[in-house]
Amino acid sequence: MRFVYSAVGIVLGGLFVYAGVQKHLAPYDFAEAVMGYQLLPQSLTGLTVAILPWLEMVSGVALILGVLPLKRLVINRFPVGTLLRRSALLLILGQSLLFVAVLLITIARGLEIDCGCSLFVQRQVGPAAIVEDGVFLLLTGLLYWRERRVQSD
Amino acid sequence: MTRVTWRRELTWAVGLLGLAVILGFMFHWSLVQASLRGKLTVLLDQKRQERREMQFPGVRTLDLAQAHQIWQEKQALFVDARKAAEYQKLHIQGAVNLLPETWALSSSELMKLDRRRELVVYCTQKSCDDAFKLAKKLQAAGFSRVVVFTGGFRAWHEAGYPADPSR
Repeated sequence: MRFVYSAVGIVLGGLFVYAGVQKHLAPYDFAEAVMGYQLLPQSLTGLTVAILPWLEMVSGVALILGVLPLKRLVINRFPVGTLLRRSALLLILGQSLLFVAVLLITIARGLEIDCGCSLFVQRQVGPAAIVEDGVFLLLTGLLYWRERRVQSD
Repeated sequence: MTRVTWRRELTWAVGLLGLAVILGFMFHWSLVQASLRGKLTVLLDQKRQERREMQFPGVRTLDLAQAHQIWQEKQALFVDARKAAEYQKLHIQGAVNLLPETWALSSSELMKLDRRRELVVYCTQKSCDDAFKLAKKLQAAGFSRVVVFTGGFRAWHEAGYPADPSR
């Protein structure tokens, strides 16, 4: 079972790194997608476009490092691997919650726009995008719950 | 070993967020600056135009006023490059629906037209590229007077110009 949790962690981290790299390499396309949501003023759009891709990449890399090479790393009695893993999961949980909320708001407003969130194919805001983020949310929640359960055992 | 508490986890998460902020500012400072000065739209328009000049060379464009004038003169055929569901909901009056992806399957009617007929292609809004993709295909098929209305259906609809729910 431990292997399954590790594999899920690596895949989840990898997907976040991939999503971040895609957005980082095409910042102007991403900016247009963010503006399409009509949720943020221009000043915050620029900040989101600059920071969000790096947040995805940093949290993805931290999760992968915490799951594999640094899993049991302890420095000065500090469990660095555990802290990396859990803080990354918290960040991914927060991002997934934010994405689902934004998608729901957009659907409620009746906007038919490119979601700017697709991993492999371009698509509009709709049920498929919500299911994808819902799966991320579920997996992240599961991994985090297991982390805390292992500690309390 | 030091126990991992909620506070420690959150502190590390904030640290990772701080790292993302620093990296984001380092790599996209010009974009952040433009948005803080309220010039993000101008920057995006400029970058989009530069990209399209590279990606779709030789495709002429029209703004809203020019497109409306041509529509009033009834000289050109308007071609809607959006998805069928969007087209059926509402489209520029008199426009036909043709998608760049299904071009080969659904262009038979259009292929009967005189190749010198003026075609005005549009998609959803100024940020979409489907009209440009279709325009290139129409040019390759021999149509010599193909132009793209860059504002797309959103600009047309917001201006209150005539639109139809079905063909």
